[in-house]
Amino acid sequence: MTQVMQPETGPQGQVAMVIDLNKCMGCQTCSVACKVLWTREEGEEHQWWMTVNTQPGKGAPKDWETMGGGLRDGKPVAGHQPTRAEFGGGWDFNYQEVFYGGKGNKTHLRPIDPGDGTTQWGMNWDEDQGGGEWPNAYYFYLPRLCNHCTRPVCAEACPTGAMYKRREDGIVLRNEDECQGFRFCAEACPYKKIYFNYEKNISQHCIMCFPRLEEGVAPACARQCPGRLMFVGELDDKTGPIHKLVNEWGVALPLHPEYGTGSNIFYVPPLAPYKLNDDMSINYETPRIPPEYLESLFGPKVHQALATIQSELDRVREGGSSEILETLIVYKWLDLFGPFTADPAQLDRKPESVAVRFTQKSG
Amino acid sequence: MRVQRVSGELGDPAASGWSSVEGESVALTPVPLDAQPTEYIRVKWAGLPYGNVKEAKVAAASDGSRLYVRLEWADSAEKNAEFADAAAVYFPAGADAPAGTMGSADASANLWYWQANLADAKSFVASGPGVFRQRGSNGVGASSSNENGGWAVVLSGDLADAKSGGKLGVAVWDGSNEERAGIGAATASWVTLEIE
Ligand code: SF4
Ligand code: SF4
Repeated sequence: MTQVMQPETGPQGQVAMVIDLNKCMGCQTCSVACKVLWTREEGEEHQWWMTVNTQPGKGAPKDWETMGGGLRDGKPVAGHQPTRAEFGGGWDFNYQEVFYGGKGNKTHLRPIDPGDGTTQWGMNWDEDQGGGEWPNAYYFYLPRLCNHCTRPVCAEACPTGAMYKRREDGIVLRNEDECQGFRFCAEACPYKKIYFNYEKNISQHCIMCFPRLEEGVAPACARQCPGRLMFVGELDDKTGPIHKLVNEWGVALPLHPEYGTGSNIFYVPPLAPYKLNDDMSINYETPRIPPEYLESLFGPKVHQALATIQSELDRVREGGSSEILETLIVYKWLDLFGPFTADPAQLDRKPESVAVRFTQKSG
Repeated sequence: MRVQRVSGELGDPAASGWSSVEGESVALTPVPLDAQPTEYIRVKWAGLPYGNVKEAKVAAASDGSRLYVRLEWADSAEKNAEFADAAAVYFPAGADAPAGTMGSADASANLWYWQANLADAKSFVASGPGVFRQRGSNGVGASSSNENGGWAVVLSGDLADAKSGGKLGVAVWDGSNEERAGIGAATASWVTLEIE
């Protein structure tokens, strides 16, 4: 019934990522790298294809985990299309007033409120609020991008056939010439990673930096991250770190596996310090991040993943060695990027090759 | 429906040429849920009301080479920040194209599409409800006005589109109800055209 366009033959693959949440410091370099590269045009002001939010929190768009979509028992679940206000952000500021208004320090820089609720929320709006009470408050950061799902319910929902999953690398894309802005994709996506461009009347989402991948360059978020924590590579490459972390060692897990779409972005869940007792002694029995909270994000396998990492840590502390930890430490930066280690600054790029249009090469 | 040949202006809903053209009221019904092209759309809209606009006043005239279709309907006062009202007229591209579903996979329709928030009209090949593919610009144009709680829209394009099948379908989407693509109201059967 759906018109998902993809070639029927040729090599099949899936580019995947592992994001180690123990190392993310919430610096937003990844989100800004993406913004600068892909969403600087009119109509894209509010778009953050990469978001980094404090957890626990309402996320971006606000309360996205309550908006439905995805699959249950293989059947699509009705979803809500996030509104412009629920995404928030993309503001204009009162520069004119501050710099030329003659008001001196009687005014200050603030977003201009267009009266549509967009100044009441934004990406990482609830930064560092987190959960718990002093002295056992806790939080961590969760970078999120399109999961380039194995079963892209976004593409399956589209009546015009504008969306497709590339056979060779599993990247989920949209032919912007064929998108009519109907936004069933945005409703159907359980991760709420599809944005609407109100200027162009089309939906848009993370393209996994496919023009970079095609030139052997890692996606901008991964390459710019100073934390050495975003692995990129072929999921089924048995020699690569992603396959080992996900399939061999089970320490990297998809976010909300119950959404049923088969995410190809995996997370190493965060370990946390132990809780403090009332007398400030350490409670070695209880981790500070409630395990049930992590289970609500990463499913029941999170407990085994954390236990594995903890036992590896314990072994190394006793003088042993650990391939898992060696892998997660990432001594050599380029080890993160699998086959995508090319330096974009070294590529011979003619000016015209830089402009990318998201349309299909043929057909 | 008679398609009169008119020498006066027809390009916008208030144009003088329309004063001599008789319109007729056309019934619109919700495009059937089971004809919707994706399972997601069928799941989402099961049990939800749509196809809110029940009838439209339709008039058609030509200048000999271009067809002008004037649509008028009562619009709900409610507005939706995300979705805009829209309307279309469409013509069978082949003999068997079904009217109520805006064509089908093997019998498409040529569809002229207007959407309240877009500057330009669009020309589509429709192969089912909302199964729209761009058909070049094709010279399709639209002009609209919103007065007295209703829309008046003129869609225009090549008379040849209408001549090949000699019949016309109409669809209207109520944006305040988030209607779009196949979720809307359309003519269940073709309106036969008598082109002068
Ligand atoms: S995360 Fe959403 S937009 Fe990305 S492939 Fe999955 S369903 Fe589609
Ligand atoms: S750039 Fe790296 S460390 Fe900074 S927020 Fe993004 S993932 Fe975290």
